[in-house]
Amino acid sequence: MKIKSLLIANRGEIAIRIIKTARKMGIRSYVIKTAKEPNAWYLEEADEIIDFSEDYDESIPEFLDIERIIKGAKKRKVDAIHPGYGFLAENPDFARRCEEENIIFVGPSHDAIYRMGHKTIAKELAREHGVPLLGGSPGAVRDAEEARKIANEIGYPVILKAAAGGGGRGMRVVSKEKDIERMFTLATNEASKAFNNPDVFLERFVREPRHIEFQILADKHGNVIHLGERECSVQRKHQKLLEESPSPALSSALRKKMGEAAVNIAKAVNYYSAGTVEFLLDSDNSFSFMEMNTRIQVEHPVTEMVTGIDLIEQMIRIAEGEKLAYTQKDIKLNGWAIEWRINAEDVQSGFSPSLGTIEKISWPEDEHVRVDTGVRDGSVITPYFDSMIAKLIVHAETREKALQQSSMAIRKFWIKGTKTTLAFCRAVLQNTNFRKGNFNTSFLSKELKIHYHAEPDEALLAAFFATYDYAREIQENEEKPLHTENGKIAPWVLKKRLR
Amino acid sequence: MAREAKKKQSTKLIALSTTNKAYEFRKPLEKKIKYQGKEVEIKLHEDPKGFSYIVWKNKKYMLDVIEKKQNRYTIMVNGVWHTFTVETPVSLKRKRYLEQQADASSAVSIEAPMPGKIIDIMVEEGAEVKEGEPIIILEAMKMQNEITSHITGLVKTVAVKKNETVMKDDVLIEIQRG
Repeated sequence: MKIKSLLIANRGEIAIRIIKTARKMGIRSYVIKTAKEPNAWYLEEADEIIDFSEDYDESIPEFLDIERIIKGAKKRKVDAIHPGYGFLAENPDFARRCEEENIIFVGPSHDAIYRMGHKTIAKELAREHGVPLLGGSPGAVRDAEEARKIANEIGYPVILKAAAGGGGRGMRVVSKEKDIERMFTLATNEASKAFNNPDVFLERFVREPRHIEFQILADKHGNVIHLGERECSVQRKHQKLLEESPSPALSSALRKKMGEAAVNIAKAVNYYSAGTVEFLLDSDNSFSFMEMNTRIQVEHPVTEMVTGIDLIEQMIRIAEGEKLAYTQKDIKLNGWAIEWRINAEDVQSGFSPSLGTIEKISWPEDEHVRVDTGVRDGSVITPYFDSMIAKLIVHAETREKALQQSSMAIRKFWIKGTKTTLAFCRAVLQNTNFRKGNFNTSFLSKELKIHYHAEPDEALLAAFFATYDYAREIQENEEKPLHTENGKIAPWVLKKRLR
Repeated sequence: MAREAKKKQSTKLIALSTTNKAYEFRKPLEKKIKYQGKEVEIKLHEDPKGFSYIVWKNKKYMLDVIEKKQNRYTIMVNGVWHTFTVETPVSLKRKRYLEQQADASSAVSIEAPMPGKIIDIMVEEGAEVKEGEPIIILEAMKMQNEITSHITGLVKTVAVKKNETVMKDDVLIEIQRG
């Protein structure tokens, strides 16, 4: 069935990204307006708005309210729903409700979401299909005592992970036996808070692995291919900060081997739609299956740039029941792409959130540069949603050229009004080991000690600007009368003069 | 004429960084910087979109005033911020003197590195803490973060309660060095 209308149950850059493809395919787009962001840009880009901003139910955030979204879609006779990433993207109940209401869910089956979302089930499936895994607990760990027992058997360090988790939440590394009880409590609390499920499992912790993931495309007719890998090792607290495709660590033989394993995982759950299989790659090139993300990823653009394939379009075509137009042999990785996540965070204060208004934003228009963003001049960064405001994607013939183009693009990417991770991107680009492609997940904690980079003269220019602004203000005050109209002394003017 | 003379006397200003580095500018209003022994003129620009920038050695540097409170400035240059207090020669002298007088053994406060909610407090007033020891769990952006003490000493005050929401830089705990 052809999709003629599509509700995007998401916001920000990904909503705009999906609207672009919908427009290209002649599909009418619908988005949800919330009271938290009534003036957001994505609302203007869509063809239709479903207004949730009035009678707001405080007990459940708008983008998590399954029944309200379904009701909104049915009322407007929308053909399909795209969940984007985050929110309900990996909620099997949401996919199931769409299926029940005859709304096409632009993603995999609820069963595939459920089985891959449950890390212990996913690991069991991987084991059955001969995909390498790390040692650890067979299922969820009952209590701290059991965690201690298993950890002592497989040896430290170990990692505790939320069974229902993802995105780094509910995850704790334990290096010593004495910490296991405290870490178990932390991980359980966080898992319960974030995923409404306190279950955690335990596995051997690989100290300095690379994080490599494979993009999968699968149709409803059993055809599964991979679109190469993404290198996601540069992370902070398990949150990705930049991604590239291909990875400097993979030979074509290793790519083939890992790609086949990724395809096998997808086949194990009769997967269809776009999906991502995550692996840890050890320094000896052995790899282990971590998890499968059953949705479009934030970092999907790097794959789009090197393969030339619009992944959102593929998801929609697969959802319509079309067969894949590509076989594995058709997939060629062309050049090198890097995505720099621009978050409203203060990298000079431990990446703390930087709220406020984007007064102005601008970036270079260039053939090498693609920017996916949900903000523009005047956009407000609220505490309600995640801190990512834009993705800068650079594509060139080689990694070296992509890095060179990145430096130029970052220098010309100007944002006024908030602190951003652009300062961090500059630091990464300065690092010799990063430039050589020689890094892993310990890059931030061990290699990149200072998380921002300033050129030597920048402090001088900043100092100058501060004194200039101050002197100018004093001069303006000198010209103001010390006495106000009613004869009283203006305290501010007096203070400035006394200094 | 007298006023003109006074103004000339007081034009010298110093930007003192948070790491106590002093940048001296003789004539900030004349937009001149002494750089490697030479006086270099600075040009401030504004692009059509309204970004302020300086052209320095043929490169553009975007500038933004992030914060301005009396003489305290935070200026962003190419995405990196720098904080200064702007001092006159007299106020700088006074500031340096007062700093010397400050008691080195006073309590150190542990501040919230980000806004969030207090999930757990692991110490009580009077308790001994070691450097690197976790003292508070702060939840921010759905992550639970361990706040650790960066000094060894005795807990003087616990300034927050469990489940309380704190802002960035709020004092959480004060520790007496020891």
